[in-house]
Order: sequence, then C-alpha cells, then structure tokens
Amino acid sequence: MLDVASRPALGARSRRAEPAPLAFLRRLDWILLGAALALVGYGLWVVSGITRFDVPGDPSYYVVRQAIAAGVGFAGLVAAAALPLDLARRHWQLVYGLTLGLMVVVFVAAEAVRGSKRWLDLGPIQFQPSELGKVLFVLAIGGFLAGRVGRVTRWRTIFGALGLGAAPVLLVFLQPDLGTALVYFAALLALLFLAGVRWRQLGLLLGAAALGVVAALWLLPAAGVQVLKPYQAARLTLDPNADPSGLTYNLDQSITTVGSGGLTGRGVLGATQTRLDYLPEHATDFAFASLAEQRGFVGSTILLLLYLLVVWRGLRVVTVAGDLYGAVVAGSLVFAFLFQVFVNVGMTMGVAPVTGIPLPFVTVGGSSLVANLVLVGVLQGVHARGRLSERSGP
Amino acid sequence: LSSVQREPPPPPSGRFLPPDPRVREPYRLTPQLALRVGVLGAIALAAFAVLLLRLWSLQVLSGDEYLNAAQSNQLRLIRVEAPRGPILDRRGRVVVSNVAGTAVRLWVGDLPERGRSRLVRRLARVLAVSPAELERQVEEGLADPLTPIVVKTAVGEEQVAYLYEHQAEFPGVEIAQVYLRSYTYGALAAQILGYVGEISPEELARLRRAGYRPGDRIGKTGVEAAFDTYLRGRPGLAQIRVDSLGRPQSALELRQEPRAGYALRLTLDVRLQRAAEEALRYGIQLAHQNKHWAANGGAIVALDPRDGAVLALASAPTFKPSVFVGRTDPRKLAPLLDEEAARRANYPGLNRAIAGLYPPGSTWKPVTALAGMEEHVFSAYDPIQCSPVAYYGLDRQRFRNWNPSVNRPMTLPEALAESCDTYFYEIGNRFYERGSEGRVQIQQWARRFGFGGPTGLDIGGEADGLLPTPEWRRRTFTSDWDRAWNPGDSIQLAIGQKDLLVTPLQLATFYAMLANGGNIVTPYVVAGVEQPGGKGSPSLVLRRFAPPPPRPAGVDPAALAAVRDGLWRATHSSNGTSAGVFASYPVPISGKTGTAEKVVQLPGYPSGHLEDQSWWCGWGPSDGARLVVCALIENGGHGSAAAAPAALKVFERFFGVKAPPAQLVNTD
Repeated sequence: MLDVASRPALGARSRRAEPAPLAFLRRLDWILLGAALALVGYGLWVVSGITRFDVPGDPSYYVVRQAIAAGVGFAGLVAAAALPLDLARRHWQLVYGLTLGLMVVVFVAAEAVRGSKRWLDLGPIQFQPSELGKVLFVLAIGGFLAGRVGRVTRWRTIFGALGLGAAPVLLVFLQPDLGTALVYFAALLALLFLAGVRWRQLGLLLGAAALGVVAALWLLPAAGVQVLKPYQAARLTLDPNADPSGLTYNLDQSITTVGSGGLTGRGVLGATQTRLDYLPEHATDFAFASLAEQRGFVGSTILLLLYLLVVWRGLRVVTVAGDLYGAVVAGSLVFAFLFQVFVNVGMTMGVAPVTGIPLPFVTVGGSSLVANLVLVGVLQGVHARGRLSERSGP
Repeated sequence: LSSVQREPPPPPSGRFLPPDPRVREPYRLTPQLALRVGVLGAIALAAFAVLLLRLWSLQVLSGDEYLNAAQSNQLRLIRVEAPRGPILDRRGRVVVSNVAGTAVRLWVGDLPERGRSRLVRRLARVLAVSPAELERQVEEGLADPLTPIVVKTAVGEEQVAYLYEHQAEFPGVEIAQVYLRSYTYGALAAQILGYVGEISPEELARLRRAGYRPGDRIGKTGVEAAFDTYLRGRPGLAQIRVDSLGRPQSALELRQEPRAGYALRLTLDVRLQRAAEEALRYGIQLAHQNKHWAANGGAIVALDPRDGAVLALASAPTFKPSVFVGRTDPRKLAPLLDEEAARRANYPGLNRAIAGLYPPGSTWKPVTALAGMEEHVFSAYDPIQCSPVAYYGLDRQRFRNWNPSVNRPMTLPEALAESCDTYFYEIGNRFYERGSEGRVQIQQWARRFGFGGPTGLDIGGEADGLLPTPEWRRRTFTSDWDRAWNPGDSIQLAIGQKDLLVTPLQLATFYAMLANGGNIVTPYVVAGVEQPGGKGSPSLVLRRFAPPPPRPAGVDPAALAAVRDGLWRATHSSNGTSAGVFASYPVPISGKTGTAEKVVQLPGYPSGHLEDQSWWCGWGPSDGARLVVCALIENGGHGSAAAAPAALKVFERFFGVKAPPAQLVNTD
C-alpha cells in the first residue's frame, strides 16, 4: 500500500470508488478477447465452407452445432476468467484428480471411435475430455511447481512434476491419441521451463526424451517390443515405405490440396479436393488444408495471423501476471496452443508429423472449441488479476 | 516475500526490461522469467515464419503445379455396398435374406446441360416413377456428381430391355445389380425384424464416427436396427477414373472386397411364430363371433420360461417389411410413417407385444397374491368371503364381483381358479388400511417382478408401463380430488384395473417366473452371430449372446406353490375360468384369464367408452414348464372367450398335440 501510495497517478485512480466487477472488466485484455472472438467467427465461416457438402440436404448442419458449442465455450470463458486462479493453485491435487478421473472415465465408459476411445457419450452430445483435460493438466502441475518455488531446480521437484505429468500423458497416449499426448508433453516442458528449471537440466531432459523417441521408434521395435502402433510410427517418421493405411496418399493429397488453393483460393464450389473427398478428414484433422484450398494464401494467412495475435497477447499476459503461478500457467497454456497450431498446420503441409490434433477454433468438434475458449478465459483471469494487484499492492 | 525484495529499489540500469509505464511492477517479473518468455516468443515467431514460408512456397510459388495436380486427380475411391447379413430363426431357417435385384441409377454428371429436364421426365415415364420427384433429386444431386441417384430398384425385365435398346438416348443411365432385402415369410414377425432404409441426417450425425456415410442403408427398427453393426458388413472400395468435374470416365474397378454382413440367429421359431400370428387372427375372429366387433388387434408372447428365449412374438395388425424395399410406394408406407394414416390402420408398425400398454385385469391377481402373502396381509389357506358385492371406504363405495352368484368363503387357490374379485378387493383394502407403507407394497413387489420398466429385451423399443403409487398421483394430477390415493386405488390395483398399465412381454416375464419356480428371466430375441457357411457347409458361430442368468425374485416357495396351485385349478377345476378351454387338453396347462376394462376411442362409439381387453397368460406343462404364453386380444371381451382359445393354438403347435373340441364359456 505504501508503495502504491507513493505513486500519485495510480493513487488518485485507486481512490475513486469503483465496483469490483467493473474494475475486473476494465482490466481484461480486450485485444486478446477480440482476437479470440475473431477466431471463433472466422472459424465458423471456415467450417461453413468446408462442411457445406458433408450432410446432404443440410449444408449448415455442422456450423449450427459449432455455433452452439461456441456459446457453451463463452460461458466457459467467463467462468474460467471469473474463478479465482488461486483456488486451483491451492487445491491443485483436486484439479489433478479431476484430470485423471476424466481420463479414466474415458477408458471405462467411452465408446471406441475408429479404434480409439476418446469420446464420452452423454446422450445427444459427445464430449472429448482430453481437450479440456489439457487446461486442467496445466493448472494442476503448475500448482505443484508453484508450491515449491525455491526448490524447482532440485531433481526431486523435477521428477515429481514429470511423474505427476506422466500419468495423464500415458492415459491419453493409450486412448490412443498420440497427438494430444504430445501436446500434454509440450505443456509439461513449458511448465518446467517457465518455473525456472536450469538450462542444463532442461538439456538433459530433452536429451532423454530424444533418446526415448529413438528407442520407441527404432530400437525397441528392433528388439521386438512395439510401443507405438505401426501406423503411429509411420506417421511420426514420415516413412513413405511403411504405408499400411494410405498415409502417404493422405499426406500427398493434403499438400496438393493446400497448394491448389493458390493466392486467393478456389472457393467452396471449386474446391474439388475437399468437395470430392480426395482430402481425408477435411472437417477435423485436415481442416487447415481444406481452408487453404477454399480461401487460398490470403485466407490461410489471416487465420495464422490471428493465431499469432493470440500467442503474442498470451505471452504478454505472462509478463503482467500477479504471481508466479499465473505466469507459469499462462505461459504453458500459450505454448501448448502454439504447439498445437504448429503441429496441425505443419502436418497438412508436410513440415510436421501426421498426428490427429485438432486445429484450435476451426476443427469441427465442440470439446476442442470449448477447451480453447476456456484457455482464453484462464489467460484473461491471470491478466485482470495481475492488473488489479498492481493497483492495490500484493 | 515480495516486500523483502522490494526494499532496495533496483537501479534502472539493472533492469532486464526497459521501464514500461504499463507494467508497473517489473520486480515481479524476474529477469530469468522475462528471458524465458522472450525465448518462447522467439520460438513462436520462428514457428509462424516456418508455416507462412511453407504456405507461400506451396500456394504462391508452386500453386499452379498443385492446381494442375488437383485438376488431374483422376482416380477416385468409391464405397461399394456390402451385402447385408441374413436373419435366421432358431433352427436356421432363413427369415430375411438378400436377393440380387436390378436397379437403374442415374449419374447426374453425365446429363447434358440442354434437354436435361426432358430426359429426366422421359426416364421417369419409362420406369413409372414420379417425374417431379426425380427432377428434384437430380437438382440436389448436381452438387455431388459422384453419387449416382437410385431411380428405381427391382426394375422389371421389360423396362431393363427397353433401356438397353435405347441406351444411346439415355446418357448417364446405368443398370446395376444391387442387393434387395427379401422376406421369406412375408409379413411374419414384421415388427421384430424391423426394416431397412437409407440413413437419415440425424442417424448420420450420430454414427458418422462409427463409419457410416451418406447413402448407407441402415436398420430402422427391430432386430435390423438393434444389431445393424453385425448385419451391415463392411463396404468395399472401388476405383473409378473421373475427369476434373468429377464425371466418371471408366467402369468401377474393385480395390477392396466388401465384407458381407454376418448372419443373425434368432430365438424365434418360424413355425411357432406363424402359429402365434394365426392364433391372434383366430382370437380376433372368436371375439367377433361373440359380438365384440371392436376387436381389431392384439399380441401373443411365447417365451421359454427357463432362459427367457422368445419363441414367438406376434402383434396384430401387422405389415409387410417388403414395402420398404426398392423404390417405395408412399401409399403403402403411410400407415407406418404417417401419424394420421397409422391411426386409421390401427398402428400396424407398433409392436404391441413390447410397446402396447394395457391394464392387465385378473392376470394381475397372482402379483397381488404374492405381495399379500410376502407382506403377511393374508394367508393362502385362511378363507376370505367371496361375496357378490363388497363395500369399502368412508362413502361405502360398492365393488362388485364379476360373478354375482357366488357367495362362499374361499382359499387363495380357489379364488384364483374362479378369479373372485371380492377376495382380492379385500386384500387390496387391507393393503390400503396399512397406511402409506402398505399403499406401495404391491407396487414394490410388482417392480421386483419386472413391471414398471423395460424387461431388458435385446432389441429395445419396450414401453415402461405404469405402476400407480400415491406419489405418482400427487405428481401427475392437479385437483385435490385426483391427487388423493383413495381406497378404490388400492382395491382396483389388486385386480389389475384403473391406472395400472403393463405390456404383454412384462406379463409373460412374470408368468415365466411363476412357471420356473421363482426366477426372473431376461427375454431375448437374438441368440448369436454367425458367419454363413458356403453351400452345404455349416455356418460358423462367431458370438453367442447369453442372456443374463435368471435371477431369483425372492418369493417364498410356499406362497409360490399356492399361486401355482390356483393357476392349475383355473384351467382344470370345474369352476376354473379357463377350464373349458384347457381342462381336456392332454398336456397339463396352468394359467389365468383376464378381462380388463380399458377406455378406448373407436369410430362410431361415444368417445372414451370402456371395452374389455381379453387376456390369458399361462404355461405348460404345469410342472417342468417349457413354454409360457401370454395372449391379448384388444377389445376382445372375456379372457376365456378369445385370448384363452388363441393361446391354446400356440400350445397345440408347440406340443404337437391337438385339443378335443371344447365348449367356450364367458368367464372373467
């Protein structure tokens, strides 16, 4: 308080009686919110194009559902921003338990879709818990690290975090959902990185991870132990010879699809790659390729720049955060988001391995959209609370 | 902690970041964290740079190349429908199979721009389909030139010959072999088998992830729907050469064989099913002879009381599933799909055996008896007066026995045999007088016996029925008068009247429990999945659906024995209600009649008048039961006059023993 009072400009402002909710609203990152809104709107427009012919007789079938999900997502955004983040820090064990519980429920109850259990069937709606689990995961592990502020560089803490993180990552991996497991892993690394683990330690960890990947892909299969399903290994290594399910066909078609879009795109009717189903999974995993074909370089760049805007504002939230927990959580969420965008978009253009990760705000699927809006909500909460604490002191 | 750090204000030169007026407390952001955020920012910039450069290189630098590649994409993969699996009865007789049919398909991409409408109209005339409808389909199909429109299936020889002769005049018309569902026994078991149709947008949205695609055929009701996964097989893939507009340029070339659907083996016996359906018609005819002209429908359930296997499940009126095959006739489909037409045809699509709701009448008395003995409301061999009338309640409301000439004390077996109403009124009233606890005890036992909810039949579609309770009355009605649970509610419930509603399958499951000595079975229709063998070779059983084992209902064996004694006397003692039908039958049969009053709406009658629903439920042989039959004739009059003789027909077929000609009497 003394500190604040010594600054005349700020002191004058804080004396003005301002109701708490309004003060909170004023301190949201409105640019970030605008970027998220723009992404939702742009995403809906993209979906309306790429799913126009998916349900005969009902061209807006998926858009309507996606719009409903967006409505739910905004409720989630508001809730995530309004709930005090400190609750999650103090009760991180509960959040962690919830994360694990969601994953286990998937195993017990989910119906297998295309050989993998990712979806919970709740009557008319289906729910993919691993999407929302991403946010919960970061909140939980972040809480663990924030409770050990001075001891982050001890190996004990690092292995504690890795051990805690391993269970959800493994459960997602076993669903099997390799792509989402990678996103979790990226978030875990970002958590350790931002919490202050030494460079040397990070280097060792990354080295060990690389060794693990080599082992999983080449050494263990040579020794007769299959860690990954063959199709997963083939996707990760981009091995054109191992092509059991037409993988290179998919990738070739995807690159052709992106390329054929040209500068301004072929339009919804002219986008034959999408419309005639040359491009597999054009509404989900390969949505970006479909967008690139229909709207061209211009349309795709708009989307990428909107992502960049979210990432930039997100990183800025890290610098504004009122405490270490908020900073670490915000930074890790942003990194997971960035990772997801890069792997998905890169995959469609052949610069990243093929894994089934949804493209944030675009891929048809309510769970992903809701989770990403909740993510933005958490960032908003960190931002507004950080700004508020500036006024009143810690 | 932070206040300690804050004590010496950091000198401006020592700051990692330049002072930023918007970030007022840079001390929170340690230099280390700031650096690391910067690193993340750099990674982000690099990542987006890679993506944008790659995008630029693909779309702008080599865009034309890829556009060419996309436009010369010539090979397309198309799904090839797999033949749907057959459905067999318990002895392997084929009930539903596929026959090859001829279909005329139209590739809209091949239609000429000019004169398209004239051509479509001419084609419609040749094939005798509605020209307006076909034109509408062509308009819709233009968006997707690679999915041909099925103009007509099951096309006659002459039309095919005509189209072949005039092939040049009909561009885009293709004559293809398709699989058509074929029903060996016509309308037999129609409601159980269900029918197959094109997947609807709602189903598609729900099942897309399970591998269903637009245009797929899917089971809509009954076995076809519940076991679609097994029946549909896996579609194959074929390759076709197309031009840049998606018009096919070559014949289909099979890349991946479709895998035919598996065969389903049912527990139904075709011969018993046919006997049950004939028995139903016979029962309706008997009702008409007894001047019950409103009798127009009904249901018969035949179960194996030992494991719940459904041997026959008849429902009248019925329909021919074949009306859904090929290009369908809207007039024939209307009674099945249109609400008003269905009402006029008395709901042929409704499976009355599992989804028809009726008051059970006297067939319910064993439920009351068991509940009463278990709760010690009465004892089986302490006589209760069976009087012509009884008066209950504060207002001395009068309750009459169906037979006014009886007035003597009876034990439970006698009361069941003669179906004495006043005996059971007394039990109902005793339950009522026990207060709030006693007023739900019959219902609790009934729930335990499987009433008030689905029995768990594997094809689903069951109705719940209704077990009225004081709580239900409070919840359902608004006026104080209706919300009260009066003596009449308990008393009428004791003889299966008033608000109580059951399905024939629920009653059959209950009688199976009586027949097998106290175990509740879960009825099932599908016995297993098989891989059909080739000609002459046996089929391979892939999976058996074992129903859950019968679970004990927890009834006292002595109480059960008294009820079984009563139901044996009902068919054998001189005063037994269905003794006239079953006493002289060589195989000992036990069972109970029921005549239930139900408010029905019939054309030509004052609205909402009462009609008697004719019931008979029972089993044979009386000891070591092998078959439970429950028969219901809607508006059929007395139980002994329509339902009981119909049930006898089913026993006759099952045991292969004919009954001597019998005298029919009207009893409850």
